Amino acid sequence: MRSNTVGWLMLAPTIAILGIFGIIPFIYVLYVSFHQWNPFGASPDMIYNGANNFRRLVFDAEFLTSIAFTMKFAFFAVISEVALGYLLAQLFMKEFPGRGFFRTIHTLPLIVAPIVVGSVWRLMTTPSIGIIPYLLKSWFGYDLNIGRDATAAFALTVIMDIWHWTPLVTLTLLAALLALPKEPFEQAQIDGANRRQIFWHVTLPMIRPAILATVFIRLMDALRTVDEVWMLTSGGPGAATRYVGLHIWKIVFPKTDYGYGAAISVIVLYLTLVMCWLLYVALVARRERKRTF
Amino acid sequence: MIKKSGIGIAALTLSLLAGVMPARADFWSDAGAKYKGVVLRGVTESTPPSNYIKDVLAPEFEKKTGIKVQIETTSWDQMYDKAIKDMEAKTGIYDMVYIEQDIIYAYLARNFLVDISKSLKDDPSLKAPEFDETHFTTFANYFKNASGDLFGIPMEAFIKVYLYRTDLFSDPKIKEAFKKETGKELAPAKTHQEYTQIADFFTKYGKDSGMELWGTTAQAHTGHPASWYEFFESIAPTYGLYNWGIDAKNNYAASVANGGQMNSDKAKAAMKYWLHLRDIAPPESAASTWTEVGTTFAAGRVAQGLVYGENAAWIASDAEKSKVVGKVGVALPPTEPDVLKEVEAGKGYLGYYDGGAFGLPVTSKNKQAALLFLQFIGEDSVQPDWAVAAPRITNTATYDDPKVVAMDKKLNGYYTMLKDQGKLFAGAPPFPFHAQVREATAPIFYKILLGEVGPDEGLDQMAAAAEAELKNLGYRK
Repeated sequence: MRSNTVGWLMLAPTIAILGIFGIIPFIYVLYVSFHQWNPFGASPDMIYNGANNFRRLVFDAEFLTSIAFTMKFAFFAVISEVALGYLLAQLFMKEFPGRGFFRTIHTLPLIVAPIVVGSVWRLMTTPSIGIIPYLLKSWFGYDLNIGRDATAAFALTVIMDIWHWTPLVTLTLLAALLALPKEPFEQAQIDGANRRQIFWHVTLPMIRPAILATVFIRLMDALRTVDEVWMLTSGGPGAATRYVGLHIWKIVFPKTDYGYGAAISVIVLYLTLVMCWLLYVALVARRERKRTF
Repeated sequence: MIKKSGIGIAALTLSLLAGVMPARADFWSDAGAKYKGVVLRGVTESTPPSNYIKDVLAPEFEKKTGIKVQIETTSWDQMYDKAIKDMEAKTGIYDMVYIEQDIIYAYLARNFLVDISKSLKDDPSLKAPEFDETHFTTFANYFKNASGDLFGIPMEAFIKVYLYRTDLFSDPKIKEAFKKETGKELAPAKTHQEYTQIADFFTKYGKDSGMELWGTTAQAHTGHPASWYEFFESIAPTYGLYNWGIDAKNNYAASVANGGQMNSDKAKAAMKYWLHLRDIAPPESAASTWTEVGTTFAAGRVAQGLVYGENAAWIASDAEKSKVVGKVGVALPPTEPDVLKEVEAGKGYLGYYDGGAFGLPVTSKNKQAALLFLQFIGEDSVQPDWAVAAPRITNTATYDDPKVVAMDKKLNGYYTMLKDQGKLFAGAPPFPFHAQVREATAPIFYKILLGEVGPDEGLDQMAAAAEAELKNLGYRK
């Protein structure tokens, strides 16, 4: 009983912070989502309008398009980051001259603020001025114009995200790989397993929790990306990179449609949770169920 | 002896008088003494005039009054984001906010701002002797309510002008080539037809000569509101389409069917004209906002273009940033043949009179101290250096200051144009729903730019979207 009280006391600050900065704002957003509220409307007051905001978003082509583009963005970005991050982690496991230097260098993008990353990439990709269009034109005769080419703009947002966040994946997976015991690998080698078999049957199962955690973090981040993309393309050309975070920003801030923006935020949170749950079921729960049988 | 004692008595009298009279050496130090230790916070867009406030005027004010001033300069979007959130949530973080001319109507409708005229009348002890509202140019009228009370101290004002390269326009070879091709003398355009002809010529000339030169600028970003503004505030008026084609007196109609003009023939002609210019502009135009347009011109990549005055000035005068110093001419934007007459008759406007003011939020916790600072930046005495450092004029007397006259020569008459022909330009329409209608119609506008929808069909859709949004906001019944 006494230890319980001490435990709760120790947890109290965390619970209080979570309550103040997480739960209370969420409840407020939920409350606002059931209202029509635009402070620059003819009537700036909050008016209860039931589930109308949620009904509206089901038929909102702009919202649905932004969700589709976001999913596509998250898919390509997260898959590439995990694959590239794993390869780099494996590389950094090996001994080679300058390993420490490269390990340090490759984590540098992580300490750059997303808004700065967006600005730098914008400078590098501005048609006629940036170095990337210049090199692509000189080497391949390809005219890169992110103001006009939707596919190129989309691809660049993915590449920028990969550049920025792959080091996080590398560090997580490197920590997981370094923590693995040697014995299972030695045993597998003695049993005659080749490198592919060792990867699929030994390494991957052992680092699965780390991969899963990384994928969850990166997926959630990718679904709410705003600053970098805003700086690089402002969501354009057209709506090609107007990902859902940016879409919400535009609805809530410039358009000041607080009620509708809150409704979209709630739905996006729900979608994120569902996606993470589906991923968890696909990667962990199903495997554990198999094991119990 | 008598003389000596007379002098002594006079000196004694003066010193006695000085001793009994209240110390009134300087208004600022006296007024500031009451608020010593107060820290004023302001948020503004990072522009040359704002940076001057931050770097020069704020420290100067602090020295005079002992009141510390912290000015946060940030991007246009962030500035609005922070200011509106602060005033909406009534947190009172900011004592001064930047009010761009087009947001004033929304801020007044929401009662966000303190009535500066009334506050100074109510408490005369705060009134600085040199501050006089009548000294502002007519641009200050945009920051007044129906009773003529001032809600913002104008701190930047400029027009979007037609800039052209004097070196190219006076080059004998180019002039001859132009005449050969068009049969006309090369001179700054007065009509859209002339402008297009010159733009087409220079783009072709640049290509044929292997030069990085195009015929025109285009603020045609495909995802940023800058392009929307260029069309509705700079191009459409030159076709005689005003106030975005929305008729506030006619139930906020936007479509022709309901009495609006957003999808009128004028709007469609303007759009096609502008889309052609975008197509012959430098490749970066599709990713250009107002800033990049200035940079493109300064880099010597275009022969002519519509450029905001705040950029026009440094393009013409700052050799560290611009390759075309001394080679820039200013003129009125080209129009459709009858539009200029219409505008001169006071029935319309030619382009955008842009600018902003510093306002005092009602949520500020240091209103009196902030009022002092606002008067300080509105005084005639601080204006000339400010106008030279960050080209903008908000007080009438500034035009005649020798430093400004010298600067005007460097700018090829830009200030003279602002003074004499500023009346042909206008600020944004007096709507309290700018960002809302813009954001509701911008996605379709971007589709037009990308060719996903034709200009005629797109403008029809935009007019319908504008009306739907106005209905949703409760303005259109």
